[in-house]
Amino acid sequence: MGTPFSLLFEIHPSSGVPIYRQLMDQIRLLIASGRLAPGDLVPSVRQMAEELQINLMTVSKAYARLEAEGILERDRGIGMRVKPSTLPGSSEQRLEQIRPLVDQLATLAWQMKLPGDEVLQLVKNSLDLLDTREPQS
Amino acid sequence: MNATSHEGHQATLSDGRPPLVVCEDLWKNFSTQQVLKGVDMTIPAGAVVGLVGTNGSGKSTLIKCLLGLLKPTRGKATLFGEDPWNLGTKSKGKLGYVPQVVQLYPWMRVEQIVAYTSAFYENWDPDWADLLLERMDLPRNRRVGPLSTGQKQKLALVLALGHRPELLVLDEPVASLDPIARRELLRSLMDLTLDNQHTVLFSTHITSDLERVATHIAFLREGRLVLFDELDAIKDRVKRLRLKSSGILPENLQIRGALRMQVERDQALVAVTDMDENLLHEIRSRYNAEIMVEDLNLEEIFVELHHE
Repeated sequence: MGTPFSLLFEIHPSSGVPIYRQLMDQIRLLIASGRLAPGDLVPSVRQMAEELQINLMTVSKAYARLEAEGILERDRGIGMRVKPSTLPGSSEQRLEQIRPLVDQLATLAWQMKLPGDEVLQLVKNSLDLLDTREPQS
Repeated sequence: MNATSHEGHQATLSDGRPPLVVCEDLWKNFSTQQVLKGVDMTIPAGAVVGLVGTNGSGKSTLIKCLLGLLKPTRGKATLFGEDPWNLGTKSKGKLGYVPQVVQLYPWMRVEQIVAYTSAFYENWDPDWADLLLERMDLPRNRRVGPLSTGQKQKLALVLALGHRPELLVLDEPVASLDPIARRELLRSLMDLTLDNQHTVLFSTHITSDLERVATHIAFLREGRLVLFDELDAIKDRVKRLRLKSSGILPENLQIRGALRMQVERDQALVAVTDMDENLLHEIRSRYNAEIMVEDLNLEEIFVELHHE
C-alpha cells in the first residue's frame, strides 16, 4: 500500500459513535471494497494509535473485537491480518465448480495422448507449489 | 450506576497492576459548605481519565484531596498506595501536577526555570523537555514574569511533563490555551501515554478535547460522582431514545435509568444511562412503541447528565 494507512481512516472523536466502533466499521468497509485483501497485515496497535492520534486501548479494543468476529486473525509474532473469508458452500459443491476445467484438462490430455498418471502428477506438483507458498487455514 | 460497579471493564487496561489513585467515601467541607459528598473512585494504572463537571462541582477540590494538598473532612484517599497527605519522596518524583492557577518564579528565564526544575527529578528527560518547549512555542530567553497567562500555563505543563511522570494531574489545563497549544498538549499526552505505563487525570469542561485521548470519564455533579466508566462504554450505553407509540403516552414514563424526558402525546424523547436490548424490549412492549436510538457525544451526554 503506497499511501500511509492512516489516510484511509476518518475518525470523528466528537461523534456519538465510540472511536473503536468507527475503526471497526471502517476496517470492514476497507475489506468489503477490496482495499484490504485477505492476508493483508493491518498496522500495529501502536502505529495506528500514533498515526490516528487516538488512545492505544481504543485500537486494541477494535482489533480484538474484529478478531472475535472472525474478520481479523492474529499471526503470532507478526501482527493482525485480514482473515481469508470463509468459502461459500461445502467442499463437494466447490469441487463441482471446477469440474468444467477438469473436463477440459482431461480432454486436452487425452487428445495429446499423455499418460494419465503423468498428468495427475503434474496437477499434484502445481498444488504442492501453492501449498508451500501460502499456507491455507 | 456508581463509581465502582464497572471495574470489570478495566482489567485489560491495568494488566493486574494496582490502581494508582483510590478514594473511598471522600467528603470535604469548607466551613458549612459541603463541596465533596462521598466520592468513590478507582483510577486504574494506564488510564487517561477526564474529570468533567460544571463550575463549582468540586473538580479542583477532589484533585487537591487526591494529591494531599487538602485534607478530606471524611473518608480516605490513597495515591501510589500511600496516604497523599504524607506522600513519600519517591512517590512525589513520579507525580506531575499543574494547578489551575500557576505560580512560577517571575525573575527566572524560561530555560533557567526548566533547568532549575529538572534538578528536582531523577528521571528528568532533557530531550523530551526540549521537544515540549518547542511544541509549546515558548521563548527560551524570555523572563517568566511578563509571560501571558497562556504562556505561563504552557510552561507549567512543560515543567510537569518533563520527567515523564507516572501520574500526571492537570487541573483545567486547556482553559487559557490557544487551539494550537491545545492540540500540541493533546499530542504530548498521547506520546506520554502511548506505552500504557502512564496515567493521566485531567479536569476540563471542554469535552471535545477528551474524546480522542481519554479512556475513562468521571462526571462530577454537586460533589458527587454521578458516572465513572470507560468512555467507550459510556458512549455505548448513554443514549437518547425517540419513542413513537400507537397510543397516547403517560406523562411520566417508567424507564430504567432515565435522565431527561419529554413526552408529547404519542411521542417521547428520553435519555437513558443504560441502554441495551433488554431495555429496548421492555419499553417496546410496555408502551407499544417504536424506538429510534440516537448516539450522543460527550458534550450531549454531559448536558443530559446535568439535567438528571
